[in-house]
Amino acid sequence: MFRAIVDNIKGLWSLIVGLSITGRFFFSPVKTVHYPRQVVDPESLASYRGPLELVPADDVGGSKCVSCQMCVRACPGNCLTVIKGKEGKAPETYLYDFTLCCLCAACVESCPTSAIRFSHNVYLTARTREELHMDLLADLKARAAKASQ
Amino acid sequence: MNNLNFINPFSVREDPGSSVGDLYTQNFSRHAKTGTVILNLGPQHPSTHGVLRVIVELEGEYVIRAEPVLGYLHRMHEKMAEVKTPWQFIPNMGRVDYLHPVAWNWAQVGACERLAGLEVPERAEYLRVISCELNRIASHLMWWGAFVMDLGGVTPILYAFEEREKINDILQIITGSRLTISYFRFGGVSADIDERFVRLTREFIPYLRERLKMYKALVTDNVILRRRLEDIGPMGVDICQRYGATGPVLRAAGLPRDVRRDIPYGVYPKLDFAIPAGPSDDCFGRYLVRLFEVETSLNIVEQALNELPDGPVKMDKAPKANWKLPAGETYFAVEGARGQIGVHLVSDGGKTPYRLKLRAPSFCNLSLFAEAAKGVLLADAIAILGSLDLVIPEVDR
Amino acid sequence: MDLSITSLAQIIIACLMVIGLMVANAVVMVYFERKTAGFIQRRPGPYEVGPRGTIQAICDSMKLLGKQLFIPGNVDWLLYFLAPVLAFFPVLLLFLPIPFGKFLTAMSVDEGILLILAFSGLGVISNILAGWSSNNKYGLLGAARAVSQSIAYEIPMIMSLLAVIFLSGSLNLSQIVEEQGSWPWQWNICVQPLAFFIYLVSLVGETNRAPFDLPEAESELTAGFHTEYSGMGFALFFLSEYANMLLVSFVCVTFFLGGWKGPFLDGFWWTFIKAYLIMMFIVWLRWTFPRVRFDQLLNINWKWLLPLSILNLWITAIVVKLL
Repeated sequence: MFRAIVDNIKGLWSLIVGLSITGRFFFSPVKTVHYPRQVVDPESLASYRGPLELVPADDVGGSKCVSCQMCVRACPGNCLTVIKGKEGKAPETYLYDFTLCCLCAACVESCPTSAIRFSHNVYLTARTREELHMDLLADLKARAAKASQ
Repeated sequence: MNNLNFINPFSVREDPGSSVGDLYTQNFSRHAKTGTVILNLGPQHPSTHGVLRVIVELEGEYVIRAEPVLGYLHRMHEKMAEVKTPWQFIPNMGRVDYLHPVAWNWAQVGACERLAGLEVPERAEYLRVISCELNRIASHLMWWGAFVMDLGGVTPILYAFEEREKINDILQIITGSRLTISYFRFGGVSADIDERFVRLTREFIPYLRERLKMYKALVTDNVILRRRLEDIGPMGVDICQRYGATGPVLRAAGLPRDVRRDIPYGVYPKLDFAIPAGPSDDCFGRYLVRLFEVETSLNIVEQALNELPDGPVKMDKAPKANWKLPAGETYFAVEGARGQIGVHLVSDGGKTPYRLKLRAPSFCNLSLFAEAAKGVLLADAIAILGSLDLVIPEVDR
Repeated sequence: MDLSITSLAQIIIACLMVIGLMVANAVVMVYFERKTAGFIQRRPGPYEVGPRGTIQAICDSMKLLGKQLFIPGNVDWLLYFLAPVLAFFPVLLLFLPIPFGKFLTAMSVDEGILLILAFSGLGVISNILAGWSSNNKYGLLGAARAVSQSIAYEIPMIMSLLAVIFLSGSLNLSQIVEEQGSWPWQWNICVQPLAFFIYLVSLVGETNRAPFDLPEAESELTAGFHTEYSGMGFALFFLSEYANMLLVSFVCVTFFLGGWKGPFLDGFWWTFIKAYLIMMFIVWLRWTFPRVRFDQLLNINWKWLLPLSILNLWITAIVVKLL
């Protein structure tokens, strides 16, 4: 009986300790990053794997890709379609289905010319499935055009 | 109005094998006593963490019988292994157990390496240990929060998330992803650590040690929690071994079994770490063992960072995506956050493995539940379920 | 009390004002609770709707109003619809005898506290009806829990209030406030700290708030007795839950914390400030502790609170007799 009373008083004390901890946190600043107003430190996004992009070989949107199909064969999700162009080794189409991609880096690591890499685009949004079917060559050209402006 | 039979929940069931519910419920209720209520916990119940379904037979609030129903999240990972090259299967492993993907990575990659006899550079082995242990901490923290949430305390999980986010930030530097990590490669790891990784990890270790004191004051010492957990759901060594339970569940029962020590792999033999056994086989014992393992993992990370040798992180001529396994059969086990993760690999020398069997610790640990939950209150059954630290994708694979 | 036209009109006006108070209280408390939860968990809480999320609660209640009433199959129609209404209306009556200020009482009756204690028992009926009629096993378990919990916690609650009633010698709430002074050390809490503590614990139990929120224990019973309610039915349960919280806080303020009296400028604002401080405390409890188990909940009550409150009552009676 006496033991139970002492136990309960100790228990009540542990509750007060708990309240003091949450009370202290109540007055400490919030830890979340309030997205549209604040963004995550870009340093911590440097390694983030976003959707694939082609590495530019020159300033006008040429790519290093030699259409060797290594990435297509490596991909576990079959999300890449590379069609070789009529002349030379450069690809005519480089389609990338982000809905199937699991960001495993099999393509990036198997590319003999290091022509593809992960972008660090965390803020990608899409309203339809089709928006995630990307044409990487067009994307590369758009980026080159934007950079040259 | 509709064709459903009206079941008055108060009424005593006249026909025990009634045609209400699906096949599992019918089968379960065939053996029900009269005067009991059959209750389906899940698959969309808040405390089954995903889509586990448990059918329980209740008398009042006492659970007379419980039976887990699996398969709501079955994704045929073992079959997928047979149609993909070993390299292409690596990302699947992150999806098997989203809380401790690195250990699953290690299990599969390690099995393939053992079969092919690949040598892993020493630096890569250390990086494997560091990433695996950091991930184990994240997993245990997540469990801690979710377990307290099962018991009704909503706040601690958000504190656990603070730490987990920090670990995710650290792991993202080398792995590029935050949840379904695929970091390991045959013959090494995919990326080397940089100065920022080391700095953040070194900052994180003392920070988490401080936070663990707060966890203790806020939750572990809390009288409500202690009385909810102490002497609830005892699972002795005997029942654990009968059902093949491993990991913290077995260690809490008092048997210091740990794959890292018993079947050494990687560079664990070179590291000094304690394996807890006990203090008790109830829910509170399992709780304490996991919190102790967080500290152990912190020590391992600290040691591994100090002893980290220089060198390459990937062997020369590391296998590519179209790499073929040599013919043969092997088994490789690692210690995951939930217990022993085993990969049994059979290859006939073809492009894809002939068979890949995944031993999921959650699956074996879950099988204890039916026996441990007999005769306890419903609230205790939830506590027992939580204390097993189930990850449902891993149960179903 | 004469039932003249004026007093009837007074009661009707008061009822309307109480409904206003209940709705406003629910809206404020939803916002307040979510913000508190947010700050305790180190996140901002509601932020986007309105300046700093202030109209989030209003938008949510609009959403609840606009939602389809989803009725599960095989419910007992009459009781299913009656339950939320029954949860709501008794609370309305309970606010009438509360003295918000010296002259601000809707219906000053001599047996005010009896009225409150009698009608607060009605709330649990709605819980039973809701759990029973909605043809859901979780609801049923929640209802069964609600009954035993509510019965259990009413007793120490009454016992602790009785101790104060012994001191003041009146059942009239205004009278009880008048007995207390303006300064905190003249309040009943200093004379009856044990009774205050018992009342505080049973207050949490009586209003089904965490850590004693067993009837709606989320992780065990999904949502307990109101599992099958959506839209307006759920809103009414929510409204009455917060109104009940406010009511027991008002009673607590009246009995232990000096009612409308304060160190300076007596008035109804003191009642509200003190009541909301107690509400804040209840919210703080909820976001700190895990939930107790059901047998523990009853053990706390029958083995500790009840003997303590009886002991307290005896001591009070003896002291009152001797002095």
